Amino acid sequence: MSFTHWLRSNSEHYLLQDSQARIAKAQGLDGPRAPKSLKDRFWRQIFAPVYRLLPWSVRKRTIQAIPGSHRQDWPEPNYESRKPAI
Amino acid sequence: MKIVVVGGGAAGLGAAGAAQGASPDAEVVVYTEFEDVAYSPCGIPFVHGKDIESFDNLFLATKEQYVESGIDVHYETTVESIDTGAKTIQVAGEGTVTYDRLIIATGWLYADPGVPGGDLGGLYRVKDIRRAMEWDKVLDQTKKAVIVESGFIAMEMTTALRHRDIEVTLVDPGPWPMSDVADPEIVEPVRKSWEELNVDMQWGNKVTAFRGSGSLTHVETEQGDVEADLAIIGTHKVPNNPLAKDAGIKLGSTGGIIVDAHMQTSAPDVFAAGDCTEIPHGVSNVPLQGLSGSHAYAQGKTAGVNAGGGERQYRPVYVPWGMLAGEWMLGGVSFGETTASALGLEFVTGTANGITRARYYPGVKPITVKLLADPKSRRLIGAQMVGGEGIKERADFLSMMTRTGITVDEIATMENVYSPAIGALNEPIAVAAQNLVSKL
Repeated sequence: MSFTHWLRSNSEHYLLQDSQARIAKAQGLDGPRAPKSLKDRFWRQIFAPVYRLLPWSVRKRTIQAIPGSHRQDWPEPNYESRKPAI
Repeated sequence: MKIVVVGGGAAGLGAAGAAQGASPDAEVVVYTEFEDVAYSPCGIPFVHGKDIESFDNLFLATKEQYVESGIDVHYETTVESIDTGAKTIQVAGEGTVTYDRLIIATGWLYADPGVPGGDLGGLYRVKDIRRAMEWDKVLDQTKKAVIVESGFIAMEMTTALRHRDIEVTLVDPGPWPMSDVADPEIVEPVRKSWEELNVDMQWGNKVTAFRGSGSLTHVETEQGDVEADLAIIGTHKVPNNPLAKDAGIKLGSTGGIIVDAHMQTSAPDVFAAGDCTEIPHGVSNVPLQGLSGSHAYAQGKTAGVNAGGGERQYRPVYVPWGMLAGEWMLGGVSFGETTASALGLEFVTGTANGITRARYYPGVKPITVKLLADPKSRRLIGAQMVGGEGIKERADFLSMMTRTGITVDEIATMENVYSPAIGALNEPIAVAAQNLVSKL
């Protein structure tokens, strides 16, 4: 597994757990399991809060910098084209 | 020109047909490891559940039809390696085969649960139709089953097994069903309907081993043993990419093959399509892997047209999805609250509880629509729904709304069909948008 694959896999998993915990708390539900191992604690108690503190523009730049299909040539959305058909 | 396709699923067969359409004189060859091509694997749970009479109904075309259309399908044939420099592939039993254009459509696998006992008999990964036919006979003898994680197909299998009167225990480390995709209040009716079907649901629990002598007898979990003669592996999809990786074709952070809008890979004259690729998300630009069969087919068509010398572009995805779960239909588009919060997006939600027909018309069903919008641009960024009917059409519609950048103000004033038998006076999408606008 490449570093970026490892990073994506872990960050996605633990950011989802963090999100589930906050939503569960707000709705009075049982959330995900509390972090137990050192790995769980790092990602849930250090990585996730730090990630949330970063402005979206920084997160977006970081995501954009990771190699992937999103860095290839894709059509941009064209929101301005919505004018009457005739 | 010789166009070789590796993989006979929705992407592979879509690519083969499109390549032939774009280049009628081309020689189009498809290699598949399986006995069949062109069937609907997503239909397998419904045959197991006896909602569909026969596996034969799932086939879209016969082998003879492919012969007649001029597509040369090599069944039960393994492609062992790709040499992108020499433009050849190594095929078991055939040796070196040349290509002018290659399309990789090797699909997906279930993620390995990564626990002991993974090689025991009695572990069923729902995917291949021939194996499904064999497993269907096993289900006649099965008394107790464990569902390992609540992926899409596993959700459908939960209901299917209860229809067969098999005792079901669902073990999932998440806090609610499909917790990596669906919001808790959206999926709650499904959880309740499984409760009514006597499904033993163990949320926040994890399988630690499969045990038995030769064949499964019980599943060990963090919260104790569960007796079972069958386990359905419902873990998430991972791309099936050893072939591409070994050939030096670039993979992205999801493990999927990196492609552009033409489905062109990093190697010259090599295209890829379907679940072995990753595609950027239209709202966030984050690459996604493991989409639906309709995405795979459309990507295959794009790859096939371009491989055949034509011109077609695929677009970033907004991922409309839907499914039957218990007695309910679930669906959505793009982000839900769980996924938007995980990525750290700013959003506002609006929810409406409505009905699918006039309140007095027979067969009227409840429906809940939850919309998410960006508070600055006021554009829709996602939606989730649960209801008795009409989910698929709304998910498709909301997907186009998200893609075209329509604001929630426009959605709040949308027109809608009113006809007692097919639609209520108030469209729940419009009411959800009105509720959302009132919060902005």
